[in-house]
Formats: sequence, C-alpha cells, structure tokens
Amino acid sequence: MSRPDGSTDRTPGREPLLSVSDLRTVFYTDKETIHAVDGISFDIYPGETVGLVGESGSGKSVTARSLLGLVDEPGVVEEGTLEFKGEDLLETGWAEYRGDLSIVFQDPSNALNPVYTVGNQIREALAIHQGLRGSAARERAIELLEAVGIPDAPRRVKEYPHQFSGGMQQRAVIAIALACDPDLLVCDEPTTALDVTIQAQILDLLDELQREEDLAILFISHDMGVIEETADRINVIYAGEIVERAPTERLLAAPEHPYTEALLNSIPGRTPPDQRLPTLDGEVPTPDGPAESCRFAPRCPVAVEECHETPPDAVAVGENGTDHSAACLLAGESEPEGEQ
Amino acid sequence: MATTTPADNRRLLAPLQDDPKLAAWVAVGLFLFALQAGAVAHFLTGLVADLLGIFPTAEASNSVLGRLVGLFEVAQRRAAELPTLLSRDVVPNAGHWNGDRWVGTFMGFSPAVSWGIRVTLVYAYAFTWVVWAVLGYRYYREQYRVADWTPRDDIVDRFRSHGWGLFGATIVFLFVVMVVFAPTLGPTTVEQNMESSYDYETTYWNSETEEVETILTGEANLNSKSTGDQSRVMPMSYDDFGRFHPFGTLPNGRDLFTFIVAGSRISLVIGLLSVGLSAALAVTLAMTSAYYKGRVDLGTVLLSDAVMAMPQLLLLIMLITVLSDSWVGEIYSGGFVLALIFAFTGWTYMWRSIRGPALQISERTWIDAAQSFGQRPWTIMRKHMLPYITGYILVYGSMTLGGAIIAIAGLSYLGLGVAPPTPEWGRAIQLGQEYVNTGSWHISLIPGLLITLVVTGFNALGDGIRDAIDPQSDTGTGGAAGRGGGA
Amino acid sequence: MSRLRYLGKRFLLSIPVVWLGASMTWFIIFMGPIDPASRLLSEGQLRNPAAYQAAETQLGLNQPPLQHYFDWMSSLLRFDLGQTWVLYEGSSVNALILDFLPRTLWLGLWSVLIAILIGVPLGFYAGMNSNTVADYVASLGGIVWRAMPNFWLAIILLAVLSTSPVLFGYRFEWETLFVSIDAISGSPDMTRIDTPDGFVAATKKVLPAALVLGSASMGNEMRIGRTAILEVRNEDYVDFAKAKGVSGRLLVWKHIFRNALIPLVPIITSEAFLLIGGSVLVETVFGINGIGQLFYQASVQGDLPLVGTLMYVFILMTVGINLLQDVLYTVIDPRVGLEGS
Ligand code: SF4
Repeated sequence: MSRPDGSTDRTPGREPLLSVSDLRTVFYTDKETIHAVDGISFDIYPGETVGLVGESGSGKSVTARSLLGLVDEPGVVEEGTLEFKGEDLLETGWAEYRGDLSIVFQDPSNALNPVYTVGNQIREALAIHQGLRGSAARERAIELLEAVGIPDAPRRVKEYPHQFSGGMQQRAVIAIALACDPDLLVCDEPTTALDVTIQAQILDLLDELQREEDLAILFISHDMGVIEETADRINVIYAGEIVERAPTERLLAAPEHPYTEALLNSIPGRTPPDQRLPTLDGEVPTPDGPAESCRFAPRCPVAVEECHETPPDAVAVGENGTDHSAACLLAGESEPEGEQ
Repeated sequence: MATTTPADNRRLLAPLQDDPKLAAWVAVGLFLFALQAGAVAHFLTGLVADLLGIFPTAEASNSVLGRLVGLFEVAQRRAAELPTLLSRDVVPNAGHWNGDRWVGTFMGFSPAVSWGIRVTLVYAYAFTWVVWAVLGYRYYREQYRVADWTPRDDIVDRFRSHGWGLFGATIVFLFVVMVVFAPTLGPTTVEQNMESSYDYETTYWNSETEEVETILTGEANLNSKSTGDQSRVMPMSYDDFGRFHPFGTLPNGRDLFTFIVAGSRISLVIGLLSVGLSAALAVTLAMTSAYYKGRVDLGTVLLSDAVMAMPQLLLLIMLITVLSDSWVGEIYSGGFVLALIFAFTGWTYMWRSIRGPALQISERTWIDAAQSFGQRPWTIMRKHMLPYITGYILVYGSMTLGGAIIAIAGLSYLGLGVAPPTPEWGRAIQLGQEYVNTGSWHISLIPGLLITLVVTGFNALGDGIRDAIDPQSDTGTGGAAGRGGGA
Repeated sequence: MSRLRYLGKRFLLSIPVVWLGASMTWFIIFMGPIDPASRLLSEGQLRNPAAYQAAETQLGLNQPPLQHYFDWMSSLLRFDLGQTWVLYEGSSVNALILDFLPRTLWLGLWSVLIAILIGVPLGFYAGMNSNTVADYVASLGGIVWRAMPNFWLAIILLAVLSTSPVLFGYRFEWETLFVSIDAISGSPDMTRIDTPDGFVAATKKVLPAALVLGSASMGNEMRIGRTAILEVRNEDYVDFAKAKGVSGRLLVWKHIFRNALIPLVPIITSEAFLLIGGSVLVETVFGINGIGQLFYQASVQGDLPLVGTLMYVFILMTVGINLLQDVLYTVIDPRVGLEGS
C-alpha cells in the first residue's frame, strides 16, 4: 500500500523524523557475546512507511526494541545514535518521547495486560498523553475503538483482552498505540500471528490511519509480500546488518543483493506457476564476533571465493540519485544472476 | 537358553581381549568389589533372613520358613567372617589408654584419629566407585555407543554445568554413603552401645587408680550423659572412659554419631520405599486418567482431592495410631507401615504434578496412531507415555524424598512411627529438647542441621534434574511436595 | 455470570470430596484393625463385659456396619458430634472444638500473615533485583528456610527467646517487650482479645509459633514470587506499558505486581494445608491448646471417635480453604471461569 503516487515525501530540506545511525545492540550471555544488531543506519521521514525485512533471527525485533528503549537484560545498546526530532534518544532517554514513538507487537494476546479491561488500558495512555480523565477519557476510548473498527465499542470497552478475538485484540493494541498520539508507529510483525483474512484488514486499517493521522510507520516483517505492499522504502536486514536499501519500486525492479533476490523469489506471485517456490536452505547465522567474510556467503547461490575472505561494504548502486545501496561484492559490477 | 554356551562366553569376552582399556576398567571394578565382597554378602544374606522373618510363621524354629531363616542367619555369620577393607576390625577405633600409649586402636593412633582414618577410607572408597563409573560412561560414549549424540547427552551436559544441582548431588552422595556404610562409620555400633549395652564391656584407663579397668558399656553410658551444663560430652571429645564421640553423647549417655548414622539408614529406606510406592501409584493413575480422560479423570481428581483434604500429617498420625498394633506395624520397627501410609497419603501430590504432562502427551498423534494399530491401552501407556513422564517423576521424587525425611522425623519426635530403640533423627531432637539452652545444646542442634542439609540437598538435586530435563520450566515445587505435610 | 457458575461448580465438586474424605475416615477408624470401643476402656474395665458392651452400644458398634456408617455420617452432617470418651471425659465435642479452634485459627491467621507479609515482599524484591547479591542471599535463605523441620525450628526459637539474647548491644527480652506475658510458650488468652492490651498479648503469645509455622510457606512464597516477577517482567504487555509512557511506581505496581500475584494464590492456599498439618507439631512444642494438639492427644490416648470427628472438621477446613482459593482466583484473575474451564 505505497502511496498512490509512489512519492515518498522525501523532499530535500525536510528533516527526518527518526535518524538511526550505526546502531549496535549486543547481548552478553555467560557463553557468548551476540551482536544482534550490528551497525544499522536508516532514516524515517514524517508520514512515510519504511519497511524492514528479513528472516527470523536476523535482528529485526531487537532493532524495534532498541528504538523504543525496551532492550531487556542481558542486552545493551552499545553504540550509535537514535536521533528523534533532533535529539539523540540514547542520550536524553525516552521519557519525554514516550507515546510520540509507539509500538505494535507481533502477538496481541501478550501485548495486552490480561487483568485489566481494554478500556482501562486505553484510558491509561489517554491520561498520560492527552491528559484526559473521567468521562472524557471514557468517551475518547470508545471513539478510538470505533476508529480502529471494533463494533459495539461501548460494550467491548468494558471487556477483558481474553474476550477479544486475535484480530480484535490487535485492533485494540493499535487503539492503545493511537491513544498515545504518536508520530512514529513501530509495527513489529503486526500481522504474523493473525489469520490471512484478518491480516489484510489490519494492513488496510494501518494504511487508513496513516493517511488520517499523518503517521510515520516502521513496518517490520519477514514477509516480503507484505512489506512490498506497505512500504515506501525497504531495508533488507541480514544477521544484524542492512544488506540492501532502496525505494520499493526500485528494489522490486532491480535487486542488487542475492539475499534480496531470494526474499523476492519467495513471494508466491513472482515465480511462474509451474515452478516450485525457490527456498533458501539454512538459517541466519548468529553474529558473535566481527565479520570476517560475507555473512551470507554460506547460503549465497552466487558466492565467489573472495566472499569467504572479505566482508562487503555497502556500495551505492542507485542511478541518477536514487538512494539504493547494497552490501555485496558483486553489487554494481554486473547483474547478479542468482535465479536459474 | 538357560545355559551359556562357550560361544556365548567368547562373544562376551571378546571385547575384553581386543580392548585393553576396557579390560583394565573391568579389572578395577572387580578389585573394588572384592575389597568389600564380604560386606555385600553379609548384607544380602541378612536381608533375606530379615525378609523371611517378617512372616509370622517364621518364628517357630521347626517350620520350613524358620529353618530357612536359621540357614541364612548362619550364612550371614559366615559372610561376616570374610575379610573386608572397611570393616571395623581392620581399622579399629575402640581401644584404651594403658598409661603411656593407646592399645587396640588402629596402629596405636588415638581413637579419634583412627576413627577419622576409617571415615576417610570409606569416603575415598565410595568416591573411587563414582570416578570409576564416570570414566566407564565416558568411555562407553566415545567407543561403544553407535550414536555419537543422543538427547540424553544434552541432559547430562546441562546437569554438569548446573552448580546448584551438583551441590545437591554432592550432599545426596555424602548422605547415601553414610547410609550404606552406617555400621562402619559409627565410632561404636548400635548393638554394643544401645541395644545390648549391658552385654558388652568397655576397657578404660582409670585416671584415679591409674589402672586399666573394665566396665559394662551400659554402666559407662550412665556416666557419660549429656544433661545440661555440668555433665556433658560435647562433639569431638572423649568421655571419661576414653571413648571418642564425634557428635557428643545423648542425654542417656549413648553416642550421638552412631545414633545418627543408624538413623540415616532408616530415614532413607523408609523415604525411598514410600516415594517409590507413591510414584508407582501416581504414575499408574496419571497414565490411566490421561489415557481414558473424562470420567476416569474426574474420579481420580475427586479421590485425590479427598485424600488431600485430610492434612497429610494428621492422616499419618491417624493411620499410625490405627495400624501400629497390627502385625504390619511391627515390620522394620514400624518403618514398613510408615512407608505404606506415606505412599497412600503422598501419591496425590505427585499425581497432581505429573497429570499435566501426562495429559499433554496423551493428546499427541502417535497415541492415536498406536490406538489405530490396535495396540492395547496398557502397552500404549508403557511404551508411548511412560518415557515422557519419567523425568518428572525423578524431579518430584527427589523433592518428595526430602519431605518424607522431615515428616518421618516429625512423627518420631511425637513418639509415633519408628519405634524405639531403633534410632531415628527426630527422636534425637526430642531427647535433646530440654537441654537446648543449656551446655548440652548439641543433641537437638546437630540432627536438625543435618535434616536441613539433607533436605536442601535433595531439593537442589531435584532442581538440577528439572533444569537439565526441561530448561524452560521453572515451576514451583508444588508447595507440599517438598515439605512432608508441614512437619 | 459465568464466574458465579464457575464458583457454583467448584462448590458442587467439593461435596463429593467431603463425603469421600469422611467415608475414608469412618473406614479407617471403625473398620480398621483396632476396636475403638476397647481403646476407650481402661485395663480393669476391659475385663468387665458389661462396661465393654455399654461402650459398644454408645458408639453404636453393635449395629451392622452399614447402619453405623449412615448414623455416623448423618450425625456429622448435623454437627451432632457427641461426647468425648478419654480426653476431658464426657464433655461435648462441640464445646471442646469451640474452645480449642479459635486458638488454632488465631495461630494460623498470624502464620499466613507473616508468610505473606515477609515472603511475598522479599520474593518480589529479589525478582525486581534479579542476579544481585541481595537476590542470591534472599533466594538461598528461602531455600534453606524451607528445608528446616518446623518442630526443630520451634525448639531452637523457643530456646533463643527464653535466654534473652543480647542483640546489637541490647538485651532482647521477648517476655516483657511491649506487654508482659506470663510465659513465652503456652496458649494465647482469647477472652480479652477485644481490648488493645489483650490483643497485643494474645498476638505476642502466638507470634513465635506463627513464625515457625509460616516459615515453610514464607520460603515457598518468596521463591514463587521471585519467579513470577521475573516472568511478568519479560511479558510484552509490560514493555507495551513502558512504551505507552507508564513509568516508575505505576508500572511496577499496576502492571508487574498485580500480575505476579496470580501464581501466588494457589501457593498461599496450599500453604494453608501445611499450616493445618503442621499445627500439631508446633502446638505441641509451644504448648498451645489448639485443635491440632487436641487431635494428637486424642490419637495417642486412644479416643478414636474423637479423632474421626476432628478429622471431619479438618476436612471441612481444607475444603473451605480450597473454595476460598477459587473465590480469590476469580477476584484476582479475570480470565478464570471465562475460558470454559
Ligand atoms: S558478497 Fe558474495 S556471498 Fe555475499 S552476497 Fe555478495 S555474492 Fe553473495
């Protein structure tokens, strides 16, 4: 659901809402040190949707949590800057920006506190961010539930989370997130735990809300198909690093990184119907030290010898000013003919 | 195939000839065993004689049973004559001072040192067995097992890096060795010091007359009481008769250490028996109720709720009162009936804990598959359900054992359960109760500390096994399981 | 509505439990290897057939067993508990229970309170500060505390209190602290409990016993409390609340503590079972004339009918606690009874 005109609101001179640079989040366990997020940089401009796509274990969720200051022990955000509205959150802390930066979790049944009514949880946010209390808060809570498409809102506002179905729970979570009056909504796999039909509804809802409220959205998913539909620009993450970045159209048309290629091939419509969906064997490696080779090399269909010796840097491959870069030794040299 | 043919023998022996390391390992094992073979024989023959003696008819010496009992008693005496390394005779500690040196002790050391040497030897011996077993397992894993990895390896590895579990295992090891070698560890024996103290004599150095004299052990006990500030024999000290008391003496002058090691035996035997029985009951019921579900399950829930509605300790007291005078009440100084009662009252807690896992497993498709093949319910339970709940049984068994030890002690504190004069830890606490705030504080304090330590050990072992089997789970130990009904 | 239905169902289920328990008790007492009638009589009376028959008739044991069973069960149901035989000979069991029970309840109340007031906060503290030295000390303390036999702890505590130990340079005299009590052990005086002085005195009297009786529960509640906190802290809803901007105390109390209480409910009530069982030993050591002590005396002295009757009272108490647990559950966890359970 990229904007109808395909524009990205990245008019020069406009400041990014959030600017992440060289973010590193490390987990220290007894046995090893895991560099879950290993030097990630990207910008999000007001009102746009940025996609972050990668397999599970690639560091997407840790990125989301790092942005919101929710990294739990034994993890630490070690380096980088998170510039939000011009201030580095890692220095100022999140306290003042809570709510401006909101999140939607993957599993709505865990994101809602089971012992309080949905209304209670919405009003909690309303009290903090909009100063609403008493009947005003109650009315606003019902309005919000209606806004996210929950029927019979006056009654449901008094119900407990477990009385809601999965899709309704996710709508309630979104309502709570909206009650914080956010500028940026981080959606961490918001549809993965839901049925396919409900997934589409939630995506529509997010799209609608984004247009109404001028929200910026960071959309995180493992599903290239979903990302392709929602995002204006896409970052492909692999083993804690961004391996390719480009505007959606460009990425779909001319992927430079073999991993992106593989993800795109996994979208059902893109392969001829008579062919089997190509799959990648193996798993995302756990980065437990500095890279000494391309981390994708063991699974890369077009790897050359050098790949096992030199870690690739991101190189700009965009034509006429498009922001397109890829971290592959072969990028830009020739079209990586990954597909047989 | 009742007999082994020479061919079989050769096949069995072949690996020994081909593999010198294995042969050495087996030889060490045999050697270790030979050191104690006499004690093992003594124990086995004694056990059979005791078991036969349980039946009321065995009393009459002319019945067949009576004669069998007699036969085994003779065998037991023979076995006692076989030399063993760790017997009291090889490293004796009972001796006397004759004016300028110790007589009758091990190599003329003082009784305390001789006793210390014997204890060290016992533990060193037991530790050697452990090392032997560990080496054997490792060698088997490397050389002989076909699979180079099994899920069990992960469990073993996780347990090996679980400090708390290892602590528990160590305590349990120390305790079990104490139980197994109880008669050897004490500075004296239950028979000489307690049961028939007036049939034995103690030789000692009378410092007033400056002469070596003898006295009946019973008389000597009367003069080594710990009853307050003035007359007391404290831990790690000698009484007036040159007898060494590692834990001091009881108010009746008997040796507390001997009392405690002997008591550890009955605690563990009753504990194991009761946990084993209640585990068997619990597992059978859990599998049947999980397999049939519905009404069977509901019925079992009601039954267990009803048993649990009677507070365990009170139920124990009631049942002991009712059963203590019957013939089962006399077996093993009342210990056997205690174990039975424990099993009857304790299965509920264990059943509660394994019902969940059992129900989960019964939902798996392979159970349905087995049913559709026409396998019989009991076979399905044994083959497809039992293996998945054995881990839980170990965990809860270990914790229940600690609870049982506390409860047995609590009952004998009240004067119920294990009948005197058979030593039991709870009775030592009761005997010393009056003197806790006098100079003879050691009598109650030491057994209490030991119970705490042993129970902590069993709980820690249970924790360790649980974390090794299922690293995710951190369920509480179900309140009562580790607590012996509040004793 | 469905919560009420859930509670109703639990109540209905507890009826067969009481019935089964009482029946088992009847069987053990009256069908066991010991003849209750003969246990009531002294040596001399035993040789007198008339006395024996009188006892048998009084107990109704000359009837066929089934008849006796129904009679016994129906008298329990009507709380027509008869009289005693050996202990306090000839007094009404109802009066005896009314006399002894309050002391046990008083003791039980305080031990539950002590366990909750010390164990839960310590556990929560350890959970909030996990993997610090304080956490390790508290956890280890809880484990060891849990492994100590109650009756032994009671003996040691009594000894410590009676020697007036010198603590931090002060002589600590339990007997004269706040209000004087006649002796450290013994029964609390329940008659003056409505006056402030009487209340403090009665409380002080049972406090050491309550501390001991609550000790095991305290260790357990600490442990479970700690685990619960650790689990809840990692829940998404806590992170979500944080992301919403809920902070500090509100986050801890509203979102963490409240949810961590749920797994504690069954622990607290199952500890109550232990309290009832443990009351026998602790009351014996502390010399409190409670119902546990009564039960023990009746067992030892062979008043088997009284033992059976008291067991019935205990069964009612445990089942009552179970029902209380269900009520607490429905109050504290909105999910109960609504998930079709
Ligand atoms: S650098 Fe080599 S291994 Fe890595 S993606 Fe490019 S071609 Fe594949």
